[in-house]
Amino acid sequence: MFCEKAIELIRELHRMGDGQLPAFNEDCIRQVLEEMKALYEQNQSDVNEAKSEGRSELIPTIKFRHCCLLRNQRCIAAYLYDRLLRIRALRWEYGSVLPATIRFHMCAEELEWFNQYKKSLATYMRSLGGEEGLDITQDMKPPKSLYIEVRCLKDHGEFEIDDGTVILLKKNSQHFLPRWKCEQLIRLGVLEHVMS
Amino acid sequence: MDTQSYMPVPPGVGTEENFFSLDDILLSQERLPCRTEMAFPRLGFLEKSNDSQDIPEGTKMEMPLWLAKGLYERKRRVLAVELPKMYREGWRTVFSADPTVVDLHKMGPYYYGLGSQLLHFDSPENTEIAQTVLQTFIGRFRRTMDSSQNAYNEDTSALVERLDCLERALFRAGQSGLNGFQSWEKGRTSHLTASNLVINYRKRKIAEVQS
Amino acid sequence: MSDVLSDAGDLSGEEESQEDVLTPAELIARLEEAWLNEKFSPELLENKSEMVECVMEQLTHMEQNLQRVKKGDLKAGIHRVEIDRIRFVLSSYLRSRIQKIEKFFPHVLEKEKSRGDGDPSFLSPEEFAFAKEYLANTETYLKAVALRHMPPNLQTVDMLKAVPEPCLDSFVFLRVKERQENILVEPETDEQSEYVVDLDEGSQHLMRYRTIAPLVASGAVQLI
Repeated sequence: MFCEKAIELIRELHRMGDGQLPAFNEDCIRQVLEEMKALYEQNQSDVNEAKSEGRSELIPTIKFRHCCLLRNQRCIAAYLYDRLLRIRALRWEYGSVLPATIRFHMCAEELEWFNQYKKSLATYMRSLGGEEGLDITQDMKPPKSLYIEVRCLKDHGEFEIDDGTVILLKKNSQHFLPRWKCEQLIRLGVLEHVMS
Repeated sequence: MDTQSYMPVPPGVGTEENFFSLDDILLSQERLPCRTEMAFPRLGFLEKSNDSQDIPEGTKMEMPLWLAKGLYERKRRVLAVELPKMYREGWRTVFSADPTVVDLHKMGPYYYGLGSQLLHFDSPENTEIAQTVLQTFIGRFRRTMDSSQNAYNEDTSALVERLDCLERALFRAGQSGLNGFQSWEKGRTSHLTASNLVINYRKRKIAEVQS
Repeated sequence: MSDVLSDAGDLSGEEESQEDVLTPAELIARLEEAWLNEKFSPELLENKSEMVECVMEQLTHMEQNLQRVKKGDLKAGIHRVEIDRIRFVLSSYLRSRIQKIEKFFPHVLEKEKSRGDGDPSFLSPEEFAFAKEYLANTETYLKAVALRHMPPNLQTVDMLKAVPEPCLDSFVFLRVKERQENILVEPETDEQSEYVVDLDEGSQHLMRYRTIAPLVASGAVQLI
């Protein structure tokens, strides 16, 4: 049957239900596009034949192929769109710089989309007023206390707190830090929030 | 809570499909028994059982829902769509006797979705199908909901295994509500945690290094 | 500023001369209302960019005050907590809006396009710019990666049809702030017929969003 490759693309994404980004499947997309080209050309020639020779019995076949073309188009578009939603999530979870391992899974146009998204979001956040605008990718959970106890899960180097003090984030060291300075590092798994 | 950043396009409601929804695309891949009521010239190679150039009129073949939906016309007879067995009268009787005993995952896993989609084809049994699908959902909903709220006290894996995709999504919603409530009760809503996405990526990286 | 303040006048049913009495506490209360409504309504609500501006000003003001307080002063800690809390609510509110704009961008832009001259805008100018860029960026991407390689009749995807609309039939919890009479409720099943209800002040309900959407917009009910 036609469109078997296209559904492979969808299955591949669906299997990673948590939103991880699998490697961009260029090869599979190319094969679907080739199938579309073939379907389209066959349809063109059958349409001509149906018209010039009055062979209306070809119409069901033409329609059959057209359905397959639409299906392929939908699968590719949905594959790409869902990938964008995953790439968007990366901006919110990782921040504006992505680890190389993840960038490696994106095609050139996806990197371009990410950069543009990043820029739009930054422009929006800067426009919110104040000196630097408002970073709405922070403050993801309601604050309860000003300072929190954190444990360092890996060596991270020097880290500057509000008042200019610099501390060294060394693996297994424990610190009492302003909550809002730690949020991003906790999300990235550098620090762990210790609850008493 | 707005902590989950990846929000996939949800499936459509009722008989609607969402164009970008992965779930709806997989649902529309489900196969339906069909009979052609016209010939499809030059497509014979798709039907392995015959070696003619064409798919002749009257051929029985399975087609994915998306294709059947695309070819089906109310006015012109191009295609007759038959009911998959779990929507036929025999199974409908079983469902109405006790909907909770059926393994909808094995039978589906898109039992409700496909059932709703079947209504696009003018079957004389449409009313009964719609009734059964609805009653089955109502009959099972209470148990799905209760068990999602009791997840800490009993093993629900056996039950979840037998749920249809829609029911699983409801079950998960129920559980996440319960988890949220319990974390609030314990005063842990302000607990900052690492992003699941980040953790999973790291796991994958480790797995790749090891293999 | 004027919109927020005149809103306040409307709510208390008093004249616009009350304008300059919106205290910081009232402003924050207004923010919390907007935040909950936005968080729980399935569609994007009217923008409150002037309120956002006021809250941002308030935050800057509080930060400045904090600079003047001596380090180690107990008051400083309390002020800091207060700033963090307000910033969280404001961020969460704006985040809900950006999420909905991204989720429904073709419909949000369409609504904006068909808006009458005098009607209030659902998007702030900055949100509008963001939505337009999001649409352009996404269309460029789809085109560049795949659509331009497709047969000529398949090179576009109608985003209005492809991206789902907000589901106005979802159910929401609400608390009534101003008593309402004769609210028409649509039937849930074929056997039911439509009926009317009165909503008493202070009472709480679970209803279809579509039924009470105008009341959310007017501020007569609060989503919870």
